[in-house]
Amino acid sequence: MRVADPVQEAKDLSETPVGRVIESWKSAHPGAKAVGWFPVFSPIELTHAAGMLPISIAGGGNQMEIAHADSRFQSFVCSIIKSTLELGLTGQLENLDGMIFHSICDPAKNLTSVFKRNFPRLMVDFIHFTQNFASPVAEEYLAAEYGRVRTRLAELAGTEITDGQIRSSIATYNRVRERVRRLQGIRLNGRNQLSAAETAALLRAGGRMMPEDFLTLLDDALRVISSRPGKARDLVHVVLEGSFCEQPPLELIQSIEEAGCSILEDDFELGFRWFKGDISTEGDPLRALAHAYIDGSVHSAVKHDLRYRKAAPLVEKVRRTGAQAVVVLTAKFCEPALFDYALYREALEENNIPHVLVEFEEKMWAFDKIRSEIETFVESMMFD
Amino acid sequence: MLITAGVDVGSTQTKAVLIDDSRAIRASAIIDTGGHISKAAERVFDEVLSTGGLCRKDVSCVVGTGYGRFKVQFGDIQITEISCHAKGAVFLFPGTRTVIDMGGQDAKGIRVGLNGEVDDFVMNDKCAAGTGRFLSNASETLNLTLDAVGELSLRAERPVRLSTVCSVFVESDIMAYLAQGKKVEDILAGVNSAIAARTIALVRRVGIVPEVTFTGGVSRNIGMIRALETKLGMPLNVSPQSQLVGALGAALWAMEHAESAVRS
Amino acid sequence: MPKAIHQGLIHDLQKNLMSHYYEKLTRAAETRQEKSAWMLISGNPVELVRAFGFLPVYPEVNALQLGVRKQALPFILKAEERGYSMDNCAYVKADVGLYFSGLKAPFATIPEPSLILCNYVGCGVYLQWFEHLAEYTNAPIFNLDIPTVRPSASEGLQGKTQAGTAADHSNAADQRYVMRQLEELIAVCERITHRDFDEAKLRRIMEFSRETGELWAQIKAMTRTVPSPFDAFFDAVTMMGPLYCLRGTEECLDFFRAVHREMTERVEQRICPLEEERFRIVIEGPPPWPFLRTFRDLFSKWGAVAVASTYSTVGGLWEFGFRHDPDRPLESISEHMLQYNLTNRSFLQRYEQIRRYITEWNADALIIHSVKSCRLFSAGQGDMREYFSKELGIPTLLVESDLEDPRYFSEAQMRNRVDAFFESLAHRKSVRDREAGTC
Ligand code: SF4
Ligand code: SF4
Repeated sequence: MRVADPVQEAKDLSETPVGRVIESWKSAHPGAKAVGWFPVFSPIELTHAAGMLPISIAGGGNQMEIAHADSRFQSFVCSIIKSTLELGLTGQLENLDGMIFHSICDPAKNLTSVFKRNFPRLMVDFIHFTQNFASPVAEEYLAAEYGRVRTRLAELAGTEITDGQIRSSIATYNRVRERVRRLQGIRLNGRNQLSAAETAALLRAGGRMMPEDFLTLLDDALRVISSRPGKARDLVHVVLEGSFCEQPPLELIQSIEEAGCSILEDDFELGFRWFKGDISTEGDPLRALAHAYIDGSVHSAVKHDLRYRKAAPLVEKVRRTGAQAVVVLTAKFCEPALFDYALYREALEENNIPHVLVEFEEKMWAFDKIRSEIETFVESMMFD
Repeated sequence: MLITAGVDVGSTQTKAVLIDDSRAIRASAIIDTGGHISKAAERVFDEVLSTGGLCRKDVSCVVGTGYGRFKVQFGDIQITEISCHAKGAVFLFPGTRTVIDMGGQDAKGIRVGLNGEVDDFVMNDKCAAGTGRFLSNASETLNLTLDAVGELSLRAERPVRLSTVCSVFVESDIMAYLAQGKKVEDILAGVNSAIAARTIALVRRVGIVPEVTFTGGVSRNIGMIRALETKLGMPLNVSPQSQLVGALGAALWAMEHAESAVRS
Repeated sequence: MPKAIHQGLIHDLQKNLMSHYYEKLTRAAETRQEKSAWMLISGNPVELVRAFGFLPVYPEVNALQLGVRKQALPFILKAEERGYSMDNCAYVKADVGLYFSGLKAPFATIPEPSLILCNYVGCGVYLQWFEHLAEYTNAPIFNLDIPTVRPSASEGLQGKTQAGTAADHSNAADQRYVMRQLEELIAVCERITHRDFDEAKLRRIMEFSRETGELWAQIKAMTRTVPSPFDAFFDAVTMMGPLYCLRGTEECLDFFRAVHREMTERVEQRICPLEEERFRIVIEGPPPWPFLRTFRDLFSKWGAVAVASTYSTVGGLWEFGFRHDPDRPLESISEHMLQYNLTNRSFLQRYEQIRRYITEWNADALIIHSVKSCRLFSAGQGDMREYFSKELGIPTLLVESDLEDPRYFSEAQMRNRVDAFFESLAHRKSVRDREAGTC
């Protein structure tokens, strides 16, 4: 039976230690395997098509103390790298069968090797996404890369992964993505029915279940949320950008909202919002996935698509949502996010869009400092 | 009879020890380093000599150690405090295999061999998070002397969890807890526990083999001793002379040197 | 205190070559007659770019030059004023600062780019760096996307025995992808230079590179002898300048002929860079450019000579067999980029490379210089330390600073760690020697 509040359910699940999530899924599905995926985006259709659980492994949040991993990665490396390793070093990934990393940044690349060395039992892989978006052969390459990963996943699952199975996984995830877009729509309707923290909780929970279950959760949530009365609040409308990989604690998102911001759009849990529309379920499914990556995905600091200027999507987002300002919220030591800030700042200033830069760490506990920074920013907006 | 000396010039304090060839400590001295490092070395040396009732020509060899070791102008040899701490710790506690040393800027872990030789060591990375500096910033924020921290923290009932071991941000963290009405002792216990965890993670890099000896200025903090012991699950050797371990080790190295010079 | 002795011709020769190179850049910047291509060092296709007559410009080398002359900080600060973070790679910041200073470095003026060629070979920062430059300069940019080496089912370090094999993890699809992009790049170069691709010319350039690579591989093998004829970290960086900036030219080849002659003699006469070679070390990580001399002296004092280094292989792994092949120009360029350079390889492959250095070059210890700027190099070096010291039992020291930003270098801290490390190494050595002497 479903508990009354799907949002609360999502919050609870998203705060359950990930090792326990895998364990309980496995005990409900004897013999089935689970494959972790590291942010930002992963073609989890392939894992799902093999009947395995694609589970988001994205650090340890603020419930975990890092006691081993900081002897492997230095103080100037972001927290998610260390906490993800800590999960492994403290035996919390015991029930995991595979782990896939992606070409998002250098620490993630090296973490792949460190995982491989320290957890020889795990199938560890790394997907190199194309970074030459303009090349006519990029799609062919990326499809071949997906093909390589599909072979390894099939070996792990001990079954073949057919085109038909991948197509049907794509269709299932298309339905998930459609619901996620609807959630997003509610955020923009001006009635304050749904907060950014709640959205993030739902997506976080979604990273920890099969898409069929996620669909049920989302449908329940959509029903509950759209029947909420909504409230009129005097808030500054902002777009939040920069937290695409390491995730802040939900309480931090809440504090930003409580400090007077209505977050119209953000990039938390970007993996579930990676595509602008549906992925084709016709023809070669690997080509379809690759095509969507190259021509149908949203902007992110870990993609280097030279067909547009880097800050253009952010400015466009502000215009489209009618936001008044931008909160750039980056993980401490996150090289991709911090680099792009320089270009964002220039573009935002040119377009007279006020912004504030704040750094966070997933392991944060006290939010007073950030809260008062945001409050000050909000005040400066109000009195303008 | 041979007499040798060790002079340990640290950033805050400068220490000296005299020993004889029966390995007995003949005298020791501790002074504040102040602004002039080579003068401090001179001063502490004079002081230890007069306490021991000796003069300079009685001393066969002087080893300088610590950050200011190259400023010990009357020294015969310079040896890092890592080698000296290892030596001194094994002298005081012959069963020592691991040394945890916590000073103002540094935290280090040393794995030592049977004769006090260094097998492996680690020090905190560039960032001073989790060192004695963190502790002194914390106690300053709470308006306490460093020495009061230990005893007080033992009275904690519900230690807080600190969100950082960064010596820069600790202040705002503590202010936040004070604002929430947390008790000072609970905050202090949280501070000790955070540093202990961080230090153990550091020392684990060389492998923690018992016995473990705890040295350095912070080892005077009883709260820290308890926090480390709880987290390690083993007792620590702590000497009342723990501040002198570096100078003592230096004097021991000096003695080995003097003895082999006599032999050859 | 024994200091390193810079004997021989190569340092002077190198100085001349590099100042000649920078004079050329300054002339190009002033006359605007020549086309320049901005590129990155790691496994680059400079041969192809040269075939079109582009003058290769390396923002990394420019940043390095600023660093080594202790002139980087004002440029870094300029970039930070524009919003770059304290925590971003300082090479990029120094270079961005240089761009916003009118490309006027104290040692040269850098020409504006006619082409920004981002050879994305391993380092993710490259992509952002050049993307930003493209936005600032409005020059045409090409991302040459080189799939990084992925862990395969077979690769892995298992205990003390099996380790990652050299370079078999790029697959046919990668190779095809890179070859096709090289063809696209050729079309871009033709468009910019209004020249047709001249394959014969490319082959001639490739021949220079082939011979240079051959000599360099032989030179690097010479440090296997005891004593080592040169320092494979501190002296190797001297040789890397011409190898990267001038590869594919006759003057570069001549330089390496001279180096080869000199080093052969030194091997024969058993000359080593220090008065005495007491310790043979392997150095992992880039140098702290602003404190190169100081850093070197920390090791010289102990009679420690680097017999191998990973940094000297960022541009290519000739010592493990790679040669440019004039008969298969594009294929061999793509093999170079995909497999035969340090940066595009996996971190585990680097462990294996170091392990080979230690055993085959007969080293006593490993020094890891962990630099904050370059996470490609440094992220995870604690695990590397763990592997070498705990699993292989090799004395390993990890020290931290930066390759460019002078604010991260603390001499006292560094000296303390290095001295302590060698004190214990010397102690062990003397115990070993004593034992060997008594029995
Ligand atoms: S938070 Fe940034 S630096 Fe860290 S793993 Fe993610 S993308 Fe890389
Ligand atoms: S991160 Fe390293 S390889 Fe990349 S640009 Fe910076 S210094 Fe170069």
